[in-house]
Amino acid sequence: MSVLRWLTIAVMAATFAGASASGAQLRDNTLYSVGADFKGFDPADSGDTVSAAMISRVYEGLLEYAYLDHPYRAEPRLAEALPEVSADGLTYTFHLKKGVHFSDDLCFPSGKGREVTAEDFVYSFTRILNPKLESTGDWIFINHVAGAKEWVQAGNLTVKIPGFVAVDRYTLQIKLRQPYPQLIWVLTMPYAFVVPHEAIEYYGREFRRHPVGTGPYVLKDWRFNYRVEFVKNPTFSGQTYPATGELDDRAAGLLEDAGKPLPLLDRIVDYEISEFYTVWQMFLGGQLASTGISKDYFEKVINPQFELSDALQKRGVRLYKTPNMDLWYIAFNMKDPTIGDSTDPAVAAKHRKLRQAFASAIDVPTYCTVIHNNRDTPANTILPPGVAGYTTKPYAYQFDRQRAKKLIAEAGYPNGKDATGHPLRLTMISAGAGSTDARQQAEFFAEQLRAIGVDLVVQQLSFAEYLRREHDGEAQIVYAGWIIDYPDGQNFMQLLYGPNKAPGVNFCNYQNPEFDRLYEKVLTMQDCPERSALYAQMSDIAIADCPWALMTYSLSYGLFQPWFQNYKPHAFPYPNAKFYKVKPH
Amino acid sequence: MIAYILRRIISVAPIALGVLLVTFLLFRVIGGNPAYRIAGKNATPAKIAQISHARGYDLPYFLNFEKFPQQLFHAQFPRLARNILRGDFGESLTSKMRVSQLLRDGVLPSLCVTTPLFFIELILAVALALLAAYYRDTWIDRSLVVLAVMAMSISSLVYIMVAQYWLASEWRLFPVWGFEGPQYLILPVLIGTVAGTGGTLRFYRTVMLDEMYQDYVRTARAKGVSPAKILFSHVLRNALIPILTNVIVALPFLYTGSLLLESFFGIPGLGRLLVSAISNGDEDVIFAETFIGAVLFVLANTLTDIAYTWADPRIRIK
Repeated sequence: MSVLRWLTIAVMAATFAGASASGAQLRDNTLYSVGADFKGFDPADSGDTVSAAMISRVYEGLLEYAYLDHPYRAEPRLAEALPEVSADGLTYTFHLKKGVHFSDDLCFPSGKGREVTAEDFVYSFTRILNPKLESTGDWIFINHVAGAKEWVQAGNLTVKIPGFVAVDRYTLQIKLRQPYPQLIWVLTMPYAFVVPHEAIEYYGREFRRHPVGTGPYVLKDWRFNYRVEFVKNPTFSGQTYPATGELDDRAAGLLEDAGKPLPLLDRIVDYEISEFYTVWQMFLGGQLASTGISKDYFEKVINPQFELSDALQKRGVRLYKTPNMDLWYIAFNMKDPTIGDSTDPAVAAKHRKLRQAFASAIDVPTYCTVIHNNRDTPANTILPPGVAGYTTKPYAYQFDRQRAKKLIAEAGYPNGKDATGHPLRLTMISAGAGSTDARQQAEFFAEQLRAIGVDLVVQQLSFAEYLRREHDGEAQIVYAGWIIDYPDGQNFMQLLYGPNKAPGVNFCNYQNPEFDRLYEKVLTMQDCPERSALYAQMSDIAIADCPWALMTYSLSYGLFQPWFQNYKPHAFPYPNAKFYKVKPH
Repeated sequence: MIAYILRRIISVAPIALGVLLVTFLLFRVIGGNPAYRIAGKNATPAKIAQISHARGYDLPYFLNFEKFPQQLFHAQFPRLARNILRGDFGESLTSKMRVSQLLRDGVLPSLCVTTPLFFIELILAVALALLAAYYRDTWIDRSLVVLAVMAMSISSLVYIMVAQYWLASEWRLFPVWGFEGPQYLILPVLIGTVAGTGGTLRFYRTVMLDEMYQDYVRTARAKGVSPAKILFSHVLRNALIPILTNVIVALPFLYTGSLLLESFFGIPGLGRLLVSAISNGDEDVIFAETFIGAVLFVLANTLTDIAYTWADPRIRIK
């Protein structure tokens, strides 16, 4: 027994020897925040929000969003200025800032970080297209950059991609297959951040654990599934807090640090906490600077007027409501013989009425209240608020059960019954097998359709199986969502563009030549009022055809400690930690 | 004895492979091709096909009749089983780290919680069971039984939430969450002890009482042996077999960790790793943990049988 006891003590001592040194709870200029399921420091694998935020602390790209400006605007980061775009829109030329260095690391011969050059961007952009890497970010270039698709198909990694050219040490050119105005936006994404080849060669498979970037922080310690600690990067080059913003920003105190060198925080510690109950206790205890609000806590924290509870207001806690710029919808498979499109106009019209009946039968406002505690708002167009092209035009199929019954009768299913007298049976898939939210949602939809006589079977699937059926175009009806990648309506409209049909992102196989014609037109247009009008027109076309029943736009509710400063809600907040500060408390 | 041990060790493989098969059915066959998730939301069919091919997800699940007979077992499950039996647990789908590395990193934090929990619970349960047996049918015995029933009737989750709220968040007696030093282990170990001791205490008490009414105890009493000596020297020794069963079968859980305690208290151990892997569909981690858990469980059962011969010389293993 005594041997085991000593063994236990020895095990504990060995384990804590490392942990206690790095984990001392300092109350200095440190931000303690929460994340979960961080995957590692590889910009090529930055598709989830937590990884994107962590990666953005140590890596940077050519461009980034202007922190305080709305509507969103890209500004140069490692580029000297916004790119020069050729008259045909096919060549983007970037001049790099001189004197930007990677952080010091063992991967460099002298241990000192070397200067970033145009070749580094060529290397980094080419890297995410390498099929062996399985990057989720290859889509930002593969169909747009000259020669990228062919390079991937050929599989000869020693050859250079013609679309990425290092003209000289500080000049980078990106050559495109066709105009791609969205290039500006995708270059702000962590996928497009610059990595040094030395780090990848030196660390090999361990590269994800040894970030070497140019960003405002360097990694001090990462304990997988527990905590990540960053400290200021001593070689971070010349960025200052913005001096201008929106009208309200000065009054909100967001310009107090104008002109100060970034980052403002000395240290950031991100805890990986999976249970919201624990997050909540730590937030109340002042151990975390901010938190979201889980569904189960919403009514305790937010009063019926959607304001913060008195108790939290007294503590000085601030509430932010941020639109997520997403859309949740129910997609109908337009190739389905029951509910989809048809070459016979009479059949196509009946099927359209069936889809419209389905859309009109769902009480979306009640769905928002009962299932989502009013954290969502009913959607009215294909584009969410904040994206150019969004209009406040009411949704054409707002909840109206009588209209739904009339439409379904006109579709050939009086009282929801088919020719045999049985209720029409439809099948919908959703992700999140086993989760309470998915079950409640499934029951809600089934109940709504039952009210018009339709038997809706909702299959809750694992995420992988859900994606498979969605991609393969097998499902009759899909509950789906799209979270914006960049603030351009094209990001949503691509989901309905004919050539993108399954297994592409248009998994509902919607085809409308007029919609496609307009999409091809806007695809190459720069942001302008005419383009916004075309987006609105495309939204109207799609809503009339009803390949989707629009559901909701979601809102994020966040709580912030009074001592946590300079926070401004942002739809793409990943690199914003460098602007934040904490006051002594 | 050696032949018996060898037989049991050989039986580990089919049992563990059976467990692996069930896990494979649940997560790969029903769960679907992970390539769709790996490829991301903008994936092209070519990319999904390339990932499926590179990782073998495009192979048949169990037997490859297309390549019969030479490569009949060139299929997903035989490949997985072969790799795992060779000690190659693959790569985490989410973190892209080697699973063996994740297991190595997680085992010490798990042991930091489960080891003290195991010993404290064992010592406490045996001591209280002896006390209850010694004072059987008195208020001490009845109080202990009532407390034990109460402790085992309340869900561990309730203990965690109450303790995190009152003891940690409100009264600041312990840290709410973390793994920064021994003080961070006190609350999870305390909760684990309170939640686990009740059932064990009741079981041990019953075992002790069974022994207390045996003839040899009556004989000892008649011979004038002191009650304490009867309890500690005779009753405890003879009650060892069921206690040993209980104790040794619990040994694999030292390795696998506590799913709830680790998740709520931020212990970066194997229990938390498994919870996280299940919620993210991180198959290779799930396969590795369930396989190792099954192997340890079978080995612990073998160890129990061997321990019987030490505890009771009348038992012989053939």
